[in-house]
Amino acid sequence: MKRLIIISTAVLAIVLLYFFIDARAGDFFPHCPFHTLTGLYCPGCGSQRALSSLLHADFLQAFRFNILLVLSLPLLLFSAVAAFAGAYKKQPVKQKIFYSPLFVKSVLFTVILFWILRNIPAYPFSLLAPHSV
Amino acid sequence: MDQAYQTQGTSQVQPKNWLVESILVTIFCCLPFGIAGIVFATQVNSKFTAGDYAGALKASQDAGRWTKIGFWIGILWVALCIIFVFFMGGLALLGVGLANEYNP
Repeated sequence: MKRLIIISTAVLAIVLLYFFIDARAGDFFPHCPFHTLTGLYCPGCGSQRALSSLLHADFLQAFRFNILLVLSLPLLLFSAVAAFAGAYKKQPVKQKIFYSPLFVKSVLFTVILFWILRNIPAYPFSLLAPHSV
Repeated sequence: MDQAYQTQGTSQVQPKNWLVESILVTIFCCLPFGIAGIVFATQVNSKFTAGDYAGALKASQDAGRWTKIGFWIGILWVALCIIFVFFMGGLALLGVGLANEYNP
């Protein structure tokens, strides 16, 4: 329960930070170490800008910065709700979907595919690279 | 899933697979360690389903280790960036101060 409160406070602080300081505006937030070193996009590149876009209800822009972040949010929300329900009932709620071998393998496949595709500098794939609309 | 539990017996609980944590590290810490975490997460599930409890436990520990490494390197990177920004900001202020002194 204590752990849950710490995590929720941190998440709330991050949400407020990315709402009031727009990551799309400039260089305030740290840049991706992988992108800085290699010039390639990692699966997380654009997630800070996507988060700011989402918090300002600019959904198309969020998709264009990092579609993986937007797609994984429902899963993360589900996990958070299950964790709160477990704390409320004082008994862990089993998050079955995360323990299905097929599901975990498809997550791995999706992340690696996304990583490769967003680095291909040709039209349909370049939509996956982080860009302003 | 339920069938797997019945054949395993009730004494063995599936080890934590760290999937959610490693997805978070992959998206927000920008490093391949999160992906290593997801790789071990797949092993936790497949080994547990195959009845290899010791293997699943080992994969769970590896998944946890890579996720934590990714998380702390991410935190370290953010900290370094903050220090760098303050350092450069300090230098800039100092520079402005000196410039004013010499070119009033």
